[in-house]
Amino acid sequence: MKEKGKTLPKRTPGGTAFKHARAYRGVYLMATPVLVAALIFYYLPMFGIRYAFFTYKGINDPIFVGMKHFVKMFSMPGFWKAFSNTLVLSITKLILNTGAAVIISVLLNELIFLKLKKVFQTIVYIPHFMSWVVAASIFSMILSPTSAGLVNDVLMKLHLITDNIYFLGDQKWWRFSYYIINVWKDTGWGTIIFMATLAGISPELYEAASMDGANRFQKMIYITLPALNNTIVTVLVLNLAKVMNLFESVFVLQNDAVIKVSDVLQTYIYTQTFNSGAIPDYGYTTAVGMFSSIISCILVLVCNRVSHKTRGRGIV
Amino acid sequence: MMKKKVKIFDIVLIVIFTVFSLVMIIPVYKVLVDSFDLKTAYGMKLFPEQFGFAGYKSIFTNPTMLRPFLISCYTTVMGTIMGLLISVLGAYVLIQWKMPGRAFIANVLLFTMIFNGGMIPTYLVMKDFHLTNNLWGVILLPAINVYNLVLMKNFFEGIPVSLMESAEIDGCSHFKILYKIVLPLSKAALASIGLMYAVGYWNDYTNYKLYITNSNLYNFQMKLRALIMGSDLPSAVEGATENTVKNAAVIVAILPFMIIYPFCQKYFVQGVNIGAVKE
Repeated sequence: MKEKGKTLPKRTPGGTAFKHARAYRGVYLMATPVLVAALIFYYLPMFGIRYAFFTYKGINDPIFVGMKHFVKMFSMPGFWKAFSNTLVLSITKLILNTGAAVIISVLLNELIFLKLKKVFQTIVYIPHFMSWVVAASIFSMILSPTSAGLVNDVLMKLHLITDNIYFLGDQKWWRFSYYIINVWKDTGWGTIIFMATLAGISPELYEAASMDGANRFQKMIYITLPALNNTIVTVLVLNLAKVMNLFESVFVLQNDAVIKVSDVLQTYIYTQTFNSGAIPDYGYTTAVGMFSSIISCILVLVCNRVSHKTRGRGIV
Repeated sequence: MMKKKVKIFDIVLIVIFTVFSLVMIIPVYKVLVDSFDLKTAYGMKLFPEQFGFAGYKSIFTNPTMLRPFLISCYTTVMGTIMGLLISVLGAYVLIQWKMPGRAFIANVLLFTMIFNGGMIPTYLVMKDFHLTNNLWGVILLPAINVYNLVLMKNFFEGIPVSLMESAEIDGCSHFKILYKIVLPLSKAALASIGLMYAVGYWNDYTNYKLYITNSNLYNFQMKLRALIMGSDLPSAVEGATENTVKNAAVIVAILPFMIIYPFCQKYFVQGVNIGAVKE
């Protein structure tokens, strides 16, 4: 087949589909590693979802149990808590991060000193490159309830508090701290996409507004902000599709004292499987994961539909 | 051009952004100062009270710290190469619009963005393939990233088709077209996506947590986590306090990207914009 291929002209107008395909044999070869990787790392796990209907402890053969795991799951308060926490944490975080990024972008856009603008941009992007482990390390030190914790130290000196606050170990404070750390880490990076949109606004619009006597704030509200509408929808839709994926940021910041307000589905699956103390039943946690994947899939499809409607193209 | 007048609002803006930047940078600055401070640090200092490198020495002379650092370097380099290889090959396949089966391959890849097997089935597959407690596992799994692959495809689409077609007429094989025409015109894309992969690999914690239990194979993030949680402190040298070592470890964990970041900022930014504009 190889020899034959060599003698064939590369382009065979009007040739059969087979001949046409032969011209691409190099490309099929290139597709092989990609498809093999997709098969192993994406498709075999999808096939593994069948364990949701089995009891499987890794040692014995899986035993078919039907819907047992789902019945158990829906009767577990820990599961419902994790599900609602996932939605609350993800969505609040998304709204806060996006809102902060929009405000920062609009204000950055007003900065007339271009050198300073560059410097500020460079600084606010920095936390994005740090891992969640690093972010958790830094904040567990500065939010520490001992006198070594910078935040408590400052609040004490300003006489704003009388007792040290255990920001990451107190149910009342954990979510607040979590949102702040998220804003710290991702707001700056989130401005990139908005800044790119703002750079595309025609200066004529601002000039025309000036002619009509608009002041700076009016221009911000009536020109700059509306220009961002589409981008805001894009960002929200893209991220809404990912709300069920929440894992690492929560995992490295949570601890036993705040499980109630911080446990999300992915951390629930992790702890039930690897930290439960007993031999894990992969079947049960696969069932929880399947629930999460299905919700995620619905969200992606809904977001895709919304994206098609609002901006004329999908997200996948 | 008319010259803009500096108004009170401009001054207010500068103040706002200065404060905001300080808030962003103070946590990192405190860690930096404390990593050089041989005294246990309380409060905020502009400079270390008792300057010394002992914290860093404790890390780089201690095999239990040095090894994770080298593993991080190794998996970052290998992973970035594998990731780029898969993205480049996949992207080249996806721009062959007339190829029979192209739509099938595209759908196979895009479907993974809609539905996934989840944490536990993936773990079981990794275990079956002996990719747990194996660095190849944490190198190969993140290498196939469909999002990055599509990003690369979007870059490739900017290359004039006529260039590739004329090379094809001249009898170039597809490998040669990719190597001689597409890649040299995509240096910016390779830099952008390569950097994304590199950051991802260097910062990887989740995959290690899931697939690596042998502490000899921990990367620096895993080690840092253990250190901060207080379970795994290395012996400090030359009077470095526990706190100094912890802070120095955080700095070492962010150092590589802090060094290259100022030079590569535009590639990072470019990656985000291409991904957002065309998806």
